[in-house]
Amino acid sequence: MTDPQDTQFLPLTRRQVLEAGTVVSASGMISTATAQAQTQVTTSPSLPENGTTVHIACRVNGQPTAIDIDARASLLDMLRERLGLVGAKKGCDHGQCGACTVHIGGRRIASCLTLAAKVNGREVTTIEGIGSADGLHPMQQAFIDHDALQCGYCTPGQIMAAIACVKEGHASTPEDIREYMSGNICRCGAYVGIVAAIEQAAPQIERG
Amino acid sequence: MTQERTADRPRVDAYEKVLGRALYAADQPIAGLLHAMTVPATIAKGRIEAIDATAAQNVRGVVRIFTHEDFSQIKTTPAARGAYGQPGKGHQPMTSPVVRHRGEPVALVVADTLEAAIEGAEAVKVRYAPEPFSARMEDELASPEAQPDRQLSSGDAEAAFAAADHRIDVEYLHPQQHHNPIELISTTAAFEDGELRIYEGTQAASAFAGGLAGMMGLEPTRLRGVSPYTGGGFGQKNGIQEQSVLVASAAALLRRPVKLVMPRGQLFHTASYRPRSRHRVRLGADGQGRLLAGLYETVQQNSRYDGFACDHGANPPRMYGYHTWQGNDRIVRVDTQTPGHQRAPHEHPASYATECAMDELAEAVGMDPVELRLANDAQSDPITGKPYSSRHLAGCLRRGAEMFDWSRRIADPGALVADNGDLIGLGVACGSYKGSMTATVTTLRLFASGRCEIATSGHEMGQGIRSVIAAELIEILGVDPAKLDIHIGDTGHAPQHITAGSWGTGSVAPAARSAAMKLREELSVLTGAPLSEEPVHVQLARTRRPSLEVTVNTIPLGKDAQIIEQLRRGIPSTTGPEYPDFMAFSWIAHFAEVHVERSTARVRVKRVVSVADCGRVMNRRTAESQVRGGVVWGIGAALREAGETDPRFGGVLNNDLAEYVVPVNADIGAIDVDFIDQPDFKLNMSGVKGLGEVAMVGAAAAVVNAVYNATGRRIRHLPIRIEDLL
Repeated sequence: MTDPQDTQFLPLTRRQVLEAGTVVSASGMISTATAQAQTQVTTSPSLPENGTTVHIACRVNGQPTAIDIDARASLLDMLRERLGLVGAKKGCDHGQCGACTVHIGGRRIASCLTLAAKVNGREVTTIEGIGSADGLHPMQQAFIDHDALQCGYCTPGQIMAAIACVKEGHASTPEDIREYMSGNICRCGAYVGIVAAIEQAAPQIERG
Repeated sequence: MTQERTADRPRVDAYEKVLGRALYAADQPIAGLLHAMTVPATIAKGRIEAIDATAAQNVRGVVRIFTHEDFSQIKTTPAARGAYGQPGKGHQPMTSPVVRHRGEPVALVVADTLEAAIEGAEAVKVRYAPEPFSARMEDELASPEAQPDRQLSSGDAEAAFAAADHRIDVEYLHPQQHHNPIELISTTAAFEDGELRIYEGTQAASAFAGGLAGMMGLEPTRLRGVSPYTGGGFGQKNGIQEQSVLVASAAALLRRPVKLVMPRGQLFHTASYRPRSRHRVRLGADGQGRLLAGLYETVQQNSRYDGFACDHGANPPRMYGYHTWQGNDRIVRVDTQTPGHQRAPHEHPASYATECAMDELAEAVGMDPVELRLANDAQSDPITGKPYSSRHLAGCLRRGAEMFDWSRRIADPGALVADNGDLIGLGVACGSYKGSMTATVTTLRLFASGRCEIATSGHEMGQGIRSVIAAELIEILGVDPAKLDIHIGDTGHAPQHITAGSWGTGSVAPAARSAAMKLREELSVLTGAPLSEEPVHVQLARTRRPSLEVTVNTIPLGKDAQIIEQLRRGIPSTTGPEYPDFMAFSWIAHFAEVHVERSTARVRVKRVVSVADCGRVMNRRTAESQVRGGVVWGIGAALREAGETDPRFGGVLNNDLAEYVVPVNADIGAIDVDFIDQPDFKLNMSGVKGLGEVAMVGAAAAVVNAVYNATGRRIRHLPIRIEDLL
């Protein structure tokens, strides 16, 4: 569909493109954050913070994390844009869809509605932090077994909500599960599988 | 081999997805990334007189503010949003001071951080010269097109209708609906390896390598479209977005990578949606319920400038053996953003109207609705006279009726009552969707280590296309799914065709299968003997070759080799439903049970049974999920979803997920799914017809018919809400 008559209003040459910027490898940013965390407090890379910043120290997936963060930043944007933890997803930024669900102190919250500054001194757990060294969390396995996902975009939020749903004691009946999982929208419509997955994983989590 | 056919395997990307490791377009780690935010127009029509960006420029962290003055050289080509491939159509915002719909971007603020970009965008002041407009088809300035968009006819339907024993003449209204995939539409433009790489969760990565390059005046080889995973598409992501070229151009001008995640409130105005439509249905039948006449006239609301078709009339005449048919589809133009394809774009609204009308006819004739449909089953198309490649709709109805226990239905509304006093209603409806395919260029590489790589045309948006590709490679080559790399959605690996219209499986399954068979042949030549039962990579290793690669071009039925060239140039080209010797459709029957609480009229869909004829089932587990998803969409359409246009300001009033209500977990009861699972080898070597779209067709009508059976209320608009039943 290219019109050969088009004027080259953005005359990019290969050299200019190469000069212009680089993409780090897929593992780059994430591995920096987590590799550092193994031995020391994770500090944010030298990202530009323009507004008023606040210093926060918290634990993210068990790792001590210290960061100077824009006071306007949401926890979701801190996780995704500063810490490279992109499992939590932005689906509405209004607390209406649940795709950004993470745990603070074991409770599920919408990280898009939570200011990053509020997690100072708190324990944050994301989808990246629930699996054990030897494999999947029972809820993750149950989601695979029951095909409780399609596009997968809402899935990290669904799984974090599902684990909390069990721990809150709201997973004893399918009706309860449906009700207490209704803050997480799955537009692909995998609800039947999600309920079945939670029913499978709940006894294992309760025993654990 | 046959036992593998409907294997119940985990979807191949489920592991990455449950770990949160699947990287979507907005998840790419890119150094030095700038963040962008759009400023939406606050008028529905008019001109921008002045943009005052002083305050915005003073926001700390703002790098640059782009307006139409920066982007006036961007071309609105047939690839632009809304053009649907037609010259002279489409509208690309920010290329001139003209505003053609509310909410279109009028400025793009780029900043070091997202927070600064948002604050900057809010600080941009725009002065407009507004013009009169109409945003709804019933309003004063709406413009009906003089000629129908489509018409189909067979015989003298008016005369047959006039002479029929039983006549139904009803009008149904379908609202505006918005796809709302949970992945927001994001565009990231970054430089790598001498090319401008566009990451967007799209169903059409080719649109970036080809279409976007044309809009920007670049060589297509300078751009690469990457859609690693699409977080739900449903048709909303099937082309270039209003934002795409703006972000790409900003990155090119700044020589820096730029990311824009469009807020959902703005997507209700910039992205596509299902337009409002009106459907007049007339059905005439004899005393035995035989369909003597079908007359179907529809009107659809389009934008002033789009090239979107109105095609409601394509499927209904193919559902049953109509003795005569007459239909036409018309367009009314208004001042809104352009609508587009949303899951079962015209098939869903058309099935809603015509399948509800069938329910009304069954009552008029005094027949059971399942029996009425069976009495009008057909094996050839009333319009073209061609036979169907395969049609097991009667089988879907019979098996579904048995699974659902349809025999307990009582025709008199409100006769079935639950223990708690709720009124129980049972409804049935059917659907169809064209059997369609497109071309692919597929490269398959087997390594002696057992690893296997395939690059082909397709996009993974949750429908399970990776699992379909895997199923064929497992069946033909016996490869280990854990050692399989599937490269799709990336123009850097293979030419990409738009993935939509339920042609994904019918295109990639034969592609993977023929590549795998070719690889077996070549391996057999290398080994000098027919292949044994040993794993293929072990046999390859014995030839002392590290790997073996084959490339195949698949050309769908009825097309010639020229389609490969079109594919390479990014020009969409598909087949179906009409082929030289037959018509091809997938078919489905849905049965719905609703419970209506008497005092509040709250409707609950307790159970749905759906039986589909989609040809061969490639993966039982993902196929069931796909049908359940389509049913959830049908329930949403029947009882929840409507975009409400504000006639005063031209915008969508309920532009978020709290006010635009989609089904949540508590809205969904049991959904039991089964398949006929008869391969259709007339259509392709894999025997598949397509499932994702047909899954939704008829589902809303089944719910609406069930609501009538419970309440005795014929509600002829969607969604049905409590106030309609009280």
